[in-house]
Amino acid sequence: MDTEAALQTVEQLLKEYATEVKQPEQNRLDFSISVENLLEAIKTLKANQWGYLSFITGLDHPAPLTAEGEAPTEGNLEVLYHFAQGAAVATLRISLPYSKAEVPSVCGLIPSASLYERELMEMFGVNVVGTPDPRRLLLPDDWPEGVYPLRKSYQMVGGAAEPPVET
Amino acid sequence: MEKQDSNGKFIVPIGPQHPALKEPGHFEFAVEGEIVTGAAVRLGYVHRGIEKGAEARNWTQNIYLLERVCGICSHIHATAYTLGVEKLANVVAPPRAQAIRTLVAELERIHSHLLWLGVAAHEGGFDTLFMFSWRDRETVMDLLEMITGNRVHYSTNILGGVKIDLDDEKITAIRKGLDFLEERTHHYLKVINTDETFLGRTRDVGTMSRQQAEELGAVGPTARASGVPRDLRVEAPYAGYHEFPVRLITATEGDLHARFVVRMNECLDCYRVIREILDRLPGGELATRVPRRIPEGETISRVEAPRGELVYFIKSTGGDKPDRIKVRTPSLCNWGTVTSVAVGHKLADMPMLLAGIDPCFSCNDRMVRVNRPDQSQTWSWENLRQYGIEYYR
Repeated sequence: MDTEAALQTVEQLLKEYATEVKQPEQNRLDFSISVENLLEAIKTLKANQWGYLSFITGLDHPAPLTAEGEAPTEGNLEVLYHFAQGAAVATLRISLPYSKAEVPSVCGLIPSASLYERELMEMFGVNVVGTPDPRRLLLPDDWPEGVYPLRKSYQMVGGAAEPPVET
Repeated sequence: MEKQDSNGKFIVPIGPQHPALKEPGHFEFAVEGEIVTGAAVRLGYVHRGIEKGAEARNWTQNIYLLERVCGICSHIHATAYTLGVEKLANVVAPPRAQAIRTLVAELERIHSHLLWLGVAAHEGGFDTLFMFSWRDRETVMDLLEMITGNRVHYSTNILGGVKIDLDDEKITAIRKGLDFLEERTHHYLKVINTDETFLGRTRDVGTMSRQQAEELGAVGPTARASGVPRDLRVEAPYAGYHEFPVRLITATEGDLHARFVVRMNECLDCYRVIREILDRLPGGELATRVPRRIPEGETISRVEAPRGELVYFIKSTGGDKPDRIKVRTPSLCNWGTVTSVAVGHKLADMPMLLAGIDPCFSCNDRMVRVNRPDQSQTWSWENLRQYGIEYYR
């Protein structure tokens, strides 16, 4: 299947779940979807055998600094599920506020997502509800709870990562 | 990968030191007698925090940082990164640069596959093959050293092109090396297809059907040995693969033996592609200019590393440093296949099975942490550098 046809198919499949569809590059489509629709959207992709889960990316968008007197806004996290078919990539983008950083596990549909979900949990502090193995994958056993290295609030010192001082 | 129930079972921990391979990883195999009934994996022993580190370095420094994700497939990491950054900057490297990138990538694939052949043979108790294949691998290592000046981290890529060129003398040396390697690869194919002892350890061991491979998300030669036609060089050609197409090599058996055959046949195709590149090497510039600040945007760069699909997600906010770089290496995908396929096999087959996917731990693990009996602490880069200088003084 050529890339354009693949993108058209996936757009038809996912349009109803998406709040916004963007084409950032020629071979890619981004679907912003709400967290409730995640499993349904993946089910649809699976039922139509469109692509495979290539990887999951976490992104951190900390709250912008506000001027004095303004109410501070809340930062949010983004979880990106990338599905690939040949050269075509469809991305499901889910935006989550810090206060409710929770996504359902997709392992029931895609068993191979387990390692990606474990990485997402320890690196970004996204709670993946129902993931079969919630243990740490990469960080050491004595790593402090609630410290997520890939969040922007985690500071780098001297070019290497330093965990914040525990209080 | 489901966590397997291991209640009341005997659990054999393997690793983290030397779990059949010379890299650290921890596996727990639940066994009933000789037969494995469950498997779990714990990684991170060589985690270096490279993704976080990349956010603090500028676009050029990151080429060298990311090349160090892996010591086997270093060039392909730099290639995936530079291709991605060039896409964001709206720059295309000149044809000669793309051809040289492809050439080095294919030489790297040969070295990686021969390295794997040796390791896998060693795990199977076939040390003669291990020593022969590693002796022959020196040929390709010498070629890489001659072309790039380095044996491991070739540093061929720069943003916008490459920094090495080929001349007639080098081309002649590459051709000579390839002739020797081709002859040896035919010999290895004969050995892995006819040697009784070897077949006894590989045929019908760790068999994975095409459906399983697809469900478990296998990539690279591991997937292709199960008949999954997935090779990004063919599906989504990058760098010089438009100009110099490769053949998609698959097998249908899905067992360990098929993984040997696929990798050796891929080597043969590498020799063909490299000769084609040398025959029709485009002339012209080696690099084009790339701005210091990269325009805002996100891109996904996918390439075929020796072990399978390697993905870079690169996000720029318009500055001289990336906002986020996500690396998804092929070994991570293939772990799922080991823990699932292991069930039902003999414990003695585990080393071969682990080696069969050609895992690369450095690729999965990206933080420097030094544990000493008296204290456990995280070391800063500065501390570590100082420690290194003192140590070797």
